[in-house]
Amino acid sequence: MQKLVVIGAGMATGRLLEHLFEADPAAYEVTVFNAEPRGNYNRIMLSPVLSGEKSYAEIVTHDDAWYTANKVTCRFGERVVAIDRDRKVVTGERGEVPYDKLVFGTGSDPFIVPCPGHDLDGVVAYRDLDHTNRMVESAAMPGARAVVIGGGLLGLEAAAGLRLRGMEVTVLHLSGHLMDRQLDPAASYLLQKDLERRGIAVMTQASTKAIHGDGHVAHVELEDGTELPADLVVMAVGIRPSARLAREAGLEVGRAILVDAQMRTSDPDVFAVGECVEYAGHLFGLVAPLYDQAKVLAKTLLDEEDAFAVREVSTKLKVTGCDLFSAGDFAEGEGREDIVFRDPSRGVYKRLVIEADRLVGAVMYGDTADGNWFFGLIKDGTDISEMRESLIFGPAYQGGAAQDPLAAVAALPADAEICGCNGVCKGRIVEAVEGGATTLDAVRAETKASGSCGTCAGLVEQIMSVTLGDDFVLPAAKPVCPCTDLTHEDVRRLIKARELKSQPAVWQELGWNTPNGCHVCRPAVNYYLLADWPLDYRDDPQSRFVNERNHANIQKDGTYSVMPRMWGGITTPDELRAIADAADKYGVPTVKVTGGQRIDLLGVPKEQLPAIWGDLNAAGLVSGHAYTKGLRTVKTCVGTDWCRFGTQDSTGLGVKLEKMLWGSWTPHKVKLAVSGCPRNCAEATCKDIGIICVDSGYEIGVGGAAGMDLKPTEPLVKVVTEAEVFEWVVAFMQLYREHAKYLDRPYKWLAKVSLDWVRETLADPAERAALNERFAISQSVYQYDPWKEHTAAEQERRYQPLADLTLEAAE
Amino acid sequence: MNWIDIGALDDVPLRGARLVKTHAGCVAIFRTGEAEVYATSNTCLHRGGPLSEGIVHDRKVTCPLHNYVYSLETGEVVGPDAGRIATYPIRVEDGRLLLDGDAVGKRSAA
Amino acid sequence: MDTVIDTTDRTFVEVAEIWVPEGDRLVWGGGAYGGLGGFEVASARESFGKGEGLPGNAWAEARPVVLKEFDGSYFKRTEAARAAGLTAAVAIPVFAGATLKAVLVVLCADDAERVGAIEVWAEGDGVLTLEDGYYGAASHFEWVSQHTQFPRGQGLVGGVWSAEAPILMRDLGSAYRFMRADSAGKAGLTNGLGLPIPVPGGRTYVLTLLSARSTPLARRFEIWDARTAKVGAKKEARLVDGICSREGPLWDPDNAGRERAVRIWQGPVGHALGSGLPVVESGSAAGGYAMMVALPIHAHGELSHVVAWYC
Repeated sequence: MQKLVVIGAGMATGRLLEHLFEADPAAYEVTVFNAEPRGNYNRIMLSPVLSGEKSYAEIVTHDDAWYTANKVTCRFGERVVAIDRDRKVVTGERGEVPYDKLVFGTGSDPFIVPCPGHDLDGVVAYRDLDHTNRMVESAAMPGARAVVIGGGLLGLEAAAGLRLRGMEVTVLHLSGHLMDRQLDPAASYLLQKDLERRGIAVMTQASTKAIHGDGHVAHVELEDGTELPADLVVMAVGIRPSARLAREAGLEVGRAILVDAQMRTSDPDVFAVGECVEYAGHLFGLVAPLYDQAKVLAKTLLDEEDAFAVREVSTKLKVTGCDLFSAGDFAEGEGREDIVFRDPSRGVYKRLVIEADRLVGAVMYGDTADGNWFFGLIKDGTDISEMRESLIFGPAYQGGAAQDPLAAVAALPADAEICGCNGVCKGRIVEAVEGGATTLDAVRAETKASGSCGTCAGLVEQIMSVTLGDDFVLPAAKPVCPCTDLTHEDVRRLIKARELKSQPAVWQELGWNTPNGCHVCRPAVNYYLLADWPLDYRDDPQSRFVNERNHANIQKDGTYSVMPRMWGGITTPDELRAIADAADKYGVPTVKVTGGQRIDLLGVPKEQLPAIWGDLNAAGLVSGHAYTKGLRTVKTCVGTDWCRFGTQDSTGLGVKLEKMLWGSWTPHKVKLAVSGCPRNCAEATCKDIGIICVDSGYEIGVGGAAGMDLKPTEPLVKVVTEAEVFEWVVAFMQLYREHAKYLDRPYKWLAKVSLDWVRETLADPAERAALNERFAISQSVYQYDPWKEHTAAEQERRYQPLADLTLEAAE
Repeated sequence: MNWIDIGALDDVPLRGARLVKTHAGCVAIFRTGEAEVYATSNTCLHRGGPLSEGIVHDRKVTCPLHNYVYSLETGEVVGPDAGRIATYPIRVEDGRLLLDGDAVGKRSAA
Repeated sequence: MDTVIDTTDRTFVEVAEIWVPEGDRLVWGGGAYGGLGGFEVASARESFGKGEGLPGNAWAEARPVVLKEFDGSYFKRTEAARAAGLTAAVAIPVFAGATLKAVLVVLCADDAERVGAIEVWAEGDGVLTLEDGYYGAASHFEWVSQHTQFPRGQGLVGGVWSAEAPILMRDLGSAYRFMRADSAGKAGLTNGLGLPIPVPGGRTYVLTLLSARSTPLARRFEIWDARTAKVGAKKEARLVDGICSREGPLWDPDNAGRERAVRIWQGPVGHALGSGLPVVESGSAAGGYAMMVALPIHAHGELSHVVAWYC
């Protein structure tokens, strides 16, 4: 009998021994070393043991009786200290064992973030039963708090387990979305929502700076200064193959122990399986390939032919009630097509990735029934061209029914507010419909829903349709774009009603049928989110048109125009000199005075933008936002300062208004003017908001237009003091910001909601105050000079080419 | 193939693009996923708009000037218009972007 | 296996019976009565209106109801129950949406040697608090439970609430393990089955069956997942978790996604799946156990799970 020594009693070597004893029990006399003082257990089931949903006894795969029956010499709780390959001897802490064949199954070590405090008591990795038991002990203290570092598979299972044990749990994840290696942002959004529903706090883009405590961990400090109290810190950021012993024994080691397809190392009598192995550039962390390796090695040890091949793997999260499945390759490569299915009412997201008529990847959340079927198609490389149309519906469903466009509305809870003006929730509308109101007018009469601004009429009709079924014929409404069946008004209302605060949330909950929108809906959704949730949502430059992303207007030749702000059209010789100098320095071909009372520098190449902005900033000039759907200019006349007809300080008022409103994003561009007398030199009567000064005060008009449409303003209100002007103008701006469809100028919006409704709404002083307050909150985030920000080195690079290969060749 | 390191993956924002100047003209590098990138000509067939300034959605880009939509995988115009822009081999390795120098007309150093 | 010990002792639950609506009354739909023939005879000729007796109360109040004392209560079969040595009962309504499918009643016998508890937890102010419970001899634990609340995701009860699925716990945690440390020979409550009880009106109820390691509530537990999200359009249920004193663990991680399955109408679990009604069997139909109960859970417009226990 040959002597076989195995280092490590893990899942791979356990499976290896099973195959070996099954094929030829008499082939080897086996000795197994294991650093842990126990035999093989099912390590991937530690999470349910942590949560209490399984017992350790249940996950033991090989108990003492099994080792005895197979005459295995167990050296458990004993580390191997050295290997002498010349003498063919393994040296353990308690003595030597000779071998004919040697197998490394040393597995991997958890990676510990080397931040200060990582060695404090109460900081644990999550790898084996001892770690699990320490975590269970920590959870025994009532109200104990845990911080889990790492939002991958293991970290999230640890978090769910500790939560079930009764701890307050926070997960820190470095990347922008959880399980970023296995999931796309949409699936990740659903996962995060699910975990938060369990009372687990999730922080993404959270980088740990240090762990503090006196002997025992007390709190975790993040790079951004946040401090999280903690009684337990779990490090679950990844694993490193454990290859030190093999390296010291002189075996060839790359990132892990190098093996061939027969699992043989650089020494023909030494083998390796499991997480300590590197094969053809691959490392292994999931169990399926480990079992494949074990099978191959058993054959190799019995001198039979077999070869290991890397195959696709699938991932599931072992958290009860969390249905998640990810398989294959869904993120990288060329020539691919996506099929996306979302059912917001059930919280379902599915995405299939197809390449050359083969399924190459699948991500599913909320409905994983067909996971194994898809996984089979991926592994087998099945030609799916015949069933492509209905593929996403799985094997049982080959009819290809269309997705229900009303699913998003059906999913709304009864207390979701539908009509913001009159505070009517979905339940009230359903009640009215069930009570016999079968037309929009009847519902409106009974509930007041859609009776004011009317922008929720589409939603009310959809709720009627969901409630009445086939009895109600939905009037055709124009959706935002082909990505959705919802109108702009619907999307706006739903973002508010369902408190959707990110783009993936909108795409999922409202059933977008594309992975991430298109050039039509992305800028609109981005605007709605930043207008409704200024503090929660972060503006996404990649969802903006080029002008807003680059803070300059692109011209037809690809160059840009640069226009500094001139507050109320007032400038100084110094400013003019700085503009002239900049025009000279950067060879600006055209300098033009605009209709908005400022100076435009046209024809600046993109690469030069940050530099010219820097020069203008130095002279105190800031971006004029001549490129935004936001406040453009406030045009003024000279007013009482100089004009013999002037009735008020129109210039001063204009400057103050501009300083108050600049930087704000709006559904479309907004232009103001202030005229000092009814002669109206500032042309205030064709602006979005125009103020005419009269002897007795100020007339505020709104909804003028002087573009494709020509339309005078209509009077909103007449007020006496400047302070009232500010209050009303800001309130009007904010109402417009909160209600209008993206790309509707105020006059178009007013045509839909009626000036009467706006007057009525703004007539309430409490409403005006609330609108002013919300505008101030938004301005606290968005009123800044983008030029200044983008001249900083980090941002400035964006304006340069990533690389210039024409230079390289010249060297 | 002659893979040239043109920069880090993270230099290109997700669902965004960057420009690379080459002897074959300006090449736009698009990032459509966490580790998914494409390289195409930067120039729209219609009026020459800079595609690297367009909105990137799914595996497509929309020209910022007049909303021509291109498939980044094939370079073909999507929708009613027809035409095709050049695409170039590019790949990601260890967080770096590697562009095929031969395809973009890099003169050999030798 | 140390989780469930096979024992010939009587288990915590002695009787299980089903009451089904017929017109405006609940009529007897069968049950397992062990050797308690007298109580069975008394039950078979009984029927309940809405609000009448224990089953009628569970129907009227649309929630699980625990009855700790029969004397002086609305319980209609007090004489027969006392004669059979039964001391407490729990009525569990099975609703599918607004429709009452059936009421399952389990009756327990008190005994100082048998440690176990049946609890009803209800949501209020964003946490679950104890609404009702039968604790047998575990009076200290009863007091503790009355002063405990579970937020979402915490403990067996909060876990069931947030997962919207039945959960079978092998280790309820230290609070439960040590709570009866004062009483020598008692291991405390370690195992628990928690299940959501959906009712009309949307209020959340979680029912738990807790038992001590040495005196199990039942000898075999099974949780079957029948959600479309899990099994697809197929009319079947998969055994996602379970533990048995004879067979050991009834789950297999290497077989995830290909778990043991039953089709509708196949065995008692398949019957519960097909009819949407609870099933109570005894003798050979109960797989050789004294009795088995298969309880279907209807949630989100479908039959989502079947929970089975065998005594």
